[in-house]
Amino acid sequence: MSTFDDRKTTGVVFNIQKYSVHDGPGIRTIVFTKGCPLSCRWCSNPESQSLRPQMAFNPGRCISPAKCDFCIPSCPYGSIRAENGALSIDCSRCAECESIACAAACPAQSLIVYGKSRTVEDVLRVVAQDSIFYSRSGGGMTISGGEPLLQKEFALALLREARRRRIKTAVETCGCVPWETLEEAAPYLNNILFDVKHPDTERHRWGTGVGNELILSNLKKLLENFPDKPVLVRTPVIPGFNDDMETARAIGRLLRGYANVSYEALPYHRLGTQKYMFLGREYPMGEVSLPAGVAGRFQAVVDEERGADRSL
Amino acid sequence: MSAIEMLNPEACECHSPQEQRIFDEQKGKKDKYYDTHARVFDLIAKFEGQTPVIDVERALYFTQSMKKTEGQPLVLRWAKALMHIARNMTVEVEDGQLLLGRAGAKIGRYGILYPELDGDFLDIAVRDLPTREQSPATISPEDAKIVMEEIAPYWKGKTYHEALNKALPEWVHKLTYVDDEGLISRFVVNETSSFRSSIQWVHDYEKVLKRGFNGIKAEAEARLAALDPASPVDQADKRPFLEAVVIVSDAIILWARRYAAKAREVAALTTDPVRKAELLNMARIAEKVPAEPADNFYEAVQSQWFVQMFSRIEQKTGTTISNGRMDQYFYPYYKKDMEAGVLTEEKAMELLECMWVGMAEFIDMYISPQGGAFNEGYAHWEAVTIGGQTKDGVDATNELTHLFLRSKREFPLHYPDLAARVHALSPDEYLWDVAETIKYGSGFPKLCNDEEVVPLYASKGGTFEEALDYAVSGCTETRMPNRDTYTSGGAYTNFAAALEMALRQGKMKKYGDEQLGIATPDPRTFKTWDDMWNAYKAQQELFLRATFTQQYIVTKVRAEHFAQPMGSALHDLCMKHCLDLHTRLIPEGANFGYFEFMGFGTVIDSLAAIKKLVFEEKRITMDQLLEAMDHNWVGYEAIQQLVKSCPCYGNDDPYADEIGKAIDRICVEFAQKYSPEMGINNDVRYVPFTSHVPFGKVVSATPNGRTEWFPLSDGSSASHGADVNGPTAILLSNYKTKNYGLRNRAARLLNIKFTPKSVEGDSGTEKLVQFIRTWCDLKLWHLQFNVLNQETLLAAQKDPQKYRNLIVRVAGYSAYFVDLSPDLQNDLIARTDHDDL
Repeated sequence: MSTFDDRKTTGVVFNIQKYSVHDGPGIRTIVFTKGCPLSCRWCSNPESQSLRPQMAFNPGRCISPAKCDFCIPSCPYGSIRAENGALSIDCSRCAECESIACAAACPAQSLIVYGKSRTVEDVLRVVAQDSIFYSRSGGGMTISGGEPLLQKEFALALLREARRRRIKTAVETCGCVPWETLEEAAPYLNNILFDVKHPDTERHRWGTGVGNELILSNLKKLLENFPDKPVLVRTPVIPGFNDDMETARAIGRLLRGYANVSYEALPYHRLGTQKYMFLGREYPMGEVSLPAGVAGRFQAVVDEERGADRSL
Repeated sequence: MSAIEMLNPEACECHSPQEQRIFDEQKGKKDKYYDTHARVFDLIAKFEGQTPVIDVERALYFTQSMKKTEGQPLVLRWAKALMHIARNMTVEVEDGQLLLGRAGAKIGRYGILYPELDGDFLDIAVRDLPTREQSPATISPEDAKIVMEEIAPYWKGKTYHEALNKALPEWVHKLTYVDDEGLISRFVVNETSSFRSSIQWVHDYEKVLKRGFNGIKAEAEARLAALDPASPVDQADKRPFLEAVVIVSDAIILWARRYAAKAREVAALTTDPVRKAELLNMARIAEKVPAEPADNFYEAVQSQWFVQMFSRIEQKTGTTISNGRMDQYFYPYYKKDMEAGVLTEEKAMELLECMWVGMAEFIDMYISPQGGAFNEGYAHWEAVTIGGQTKDGVDATNELTHLFLRSKREFPLHYPDLAARVHALSPDEYLWDVAETIKYGSGFPKLCNDEEVVPLYASKGGTFEEALDYAVSGCTETRMPNRDTYTSGGAYTNFAAALEMALRQGKMKKYGDEQLGIATPDPRTFKTWDDMWNAYKAQQELFLRATFTQQYIVTKVRAEHFAQPMGSALHDLCMKHCLDLHTRLIPEGANFGYFEFMGFGTVIDSLAAIKKLVFEEKRITMDQLLEAMDHNWVGYEAIQQLVKSCPCYGNDDPYADEIGKAIDRICVEFAQKYSPEMGINNDVRYVPFTSHVPFGKVVSATPNGRTEWFPLSDGSSASHGADVNGPTAILLSNYKTKNYGLRNRAARLLNIKFTPKSVEGDSGTEKLVQFIRTWCDLKLWHLQFNVLNQETLLAAQKDPQKYRNLIVRVAGYSAYFVDLSPDLQNDLIARTDHDDL
């Protein structure tokens, strides 16, 4: 594909976040894309799961219809009404709405649209704004999601074009994509952040909705076919799902013997809860929390099992 | 006079709130550094939490002498007054202190008075001081009586402030003051020259360490002997100046020796052999310095301290006298002693920290309400500069540089105001140490950028050697101590008021029908964005005219009221030309003045909202906007939200930043055109201390959704909570609103908030270093971090609108803090607490 084609390629993006410092080397900008083959119970970006733009409502920011009613006439289906001093939204037709005009009308960012079709050119214009920070820090662009490789053509065009512009790239992937996609993307990636959520496929299915066979086979192929590519394997340590040390040992064993792998255990957090509410969804994890220190122990056990020299 | 009511400012991170917090924390809690710093912790324990006491001795002896010397040359009168003070001021030796020299007799936290500044209302102020809300102080009834009867009456009709008030033309006066007497600030085009004798300053301390005051005195005496007896200039101008240098040299030497005698007296009564030996050693040193050159580290520190304290007695220097490049001028003594094995790091640090304790006890007291409002909460900026480059342009860091950083981490108070110079080749070892210190020390040191300051100063009149040897002075300014000669406080100009006047035909809601500005047309008649822009520009230009005319008059009036013989004795050009440093123009000098741009973010965001909503998208009419603002947005919340959703400065958004650059350009072009005829660089600066709060108190609702009387945006920072794209965007907006092609700019203050999580661990430090290096690349002037603590996060929870910009960064996740529910915020706050920061 030529640069002209790549620049015009579009994808559904729901956020471009600057100064991200936990998602690859240096100071980075994350491009969050929509759509994910998994539906993890603990997902902290529930707005990423669907491929389409989505309407959401943050009642905390609404000024109240008594003071502001920009949204009411904007809805093409007449689904927004004022009732008892609050907004009442019938979301049954939002899924088929093309315009999501209510979000554009809302001055308070109370009605939100998650996701917008954007060209590679447009996305990289924003990403390139911080390029001086990337050159100083060894940072760059991280594509994340959702599963960023799900929108395959867009992801590849974005990575190719970033490479042309000498912007370093990384991906945060769940690994649950056809091997060919990963294989095609890898040459354009400086770093790969690869999630391993559970070594047991049934448990994996319970937690994420899908088995782990493709994920683990992709990981193995990736490590073996691209032995010089730095891969950071990460596990979100989720209470009641994978927070036992037996699981940690099993993950450690998967990684044993690969020189290009580093590992990070990420402690469970509930910071995405609010967004479930905005989307009108229940948060599947409820009130559980991860006791302090568990993620640290998990990390230590994985590192020990995989034979990593942690003094490095 | 009414005290100025204050809002609680949160934007300008001056030291005091943090200082207070640390004071509080210490109560009942043993600090982890206590055991290694027992002496200074014990010294601090004696005054922590104390309300400062006013010490009247300086004011009394100064006044007594000035009464007797009327009619003589001012510099000579000042020197004689200093001699009178040196001879009579009580000298005390503080238990446990290793340094001698205080600007007042009262042990503990104290402030002193400068009646030559505010004597005309000193009596009223002294009455109100103990009860005022901001920076209160106590005074004994006996001392209050001395102020009322012996000090204040003499100064009525003689102060600089009264002279300035009379000298301002009517059109400038009405933008400066509300009342005829000039006691109530207008907070539109404010003068700041009357609440301090000088703006921030740095002495060439090295001169004293190397030559001693006997050396300086000998030079003056030789020059006196060589004066042409027939030359009227030599006899009438140079002679009194040189005589003043001789007198002031004798005065500081006498003062030091009185301390030596006192130390011997106390030693004789001391039974503890260790303390006795300390006191005798202190006495020996004070008998030697600052008269003679220092020969070791201890003598150098003591000599500098005497100069610094005598300087505080000499005059009220704005923001407290700065300390210059301490890691440079102390280094030869440090190295020599360390190599000889007669000094340890711990001993050196203890001496320095004895100095920090002395600084912490001295309160920079502002008597006038303006001064108090500008410098809230005992603010102080006695900048100690470290790092940077040598006169040769190579990296200047040394072992002592790192010792200052270590002390900043371990010393429990925010003294001194540590400033780290950074340049393109600053070594990683240094920047990592700086970054670690920022993480552990609540954001200090502040950073100053050689890549901006050095070329700018070279182009404004310094040699490259002088520019490379600059020292941070005060909050963000910098000085070349033997080239700079400018001492007049500059105007603080409220451009948010200019914006309000553009929308109210030259009037302000606060001041009713008074026609303060230009009667620009009714904004409802504006057809295009150009009409709006031109109305604003007309008001901005009026303000600039007032700013510059005011400053010109200030520079002329001040020289008749202030002198500083000691400061002048330490300045090459003053000595060469026999002119006091307060002289309006000193040959070969570089006059780096500045005026303050108040409300940069407020004005940009307001204009961007009008441009976009009224003229481009036409979503609202001007009439609707004005009506909403008239009602302070009450009942018009939808419009308020709409304007708030427009492009804002601080987000690397070209829509807003281009307006910012145009506004800045009007200022720098005005300065370029009119500075030369005044003989000064009256350049634009963005450093408000805490004054964006009182200036906000006169500005009604602004089109960026800000409610009436709320603080303006601070320095070159974004409006409250408007910067939602993170710290890289804040830096880039700053960069993109500067006019690098012109040189008529001074400092820009920039504060950035970080959550502890984002700088966690070694990788966090590394990213902080990378961030600092990028800031250096961008040639931005100043940077200070505020690594947020739990308390701030709790405050954010209570007042979410102000903290829209608080960025949460967790792997693979994005959200702003205030979008989180209180429950989740608590979660995050709890996590922060585990960060061990």
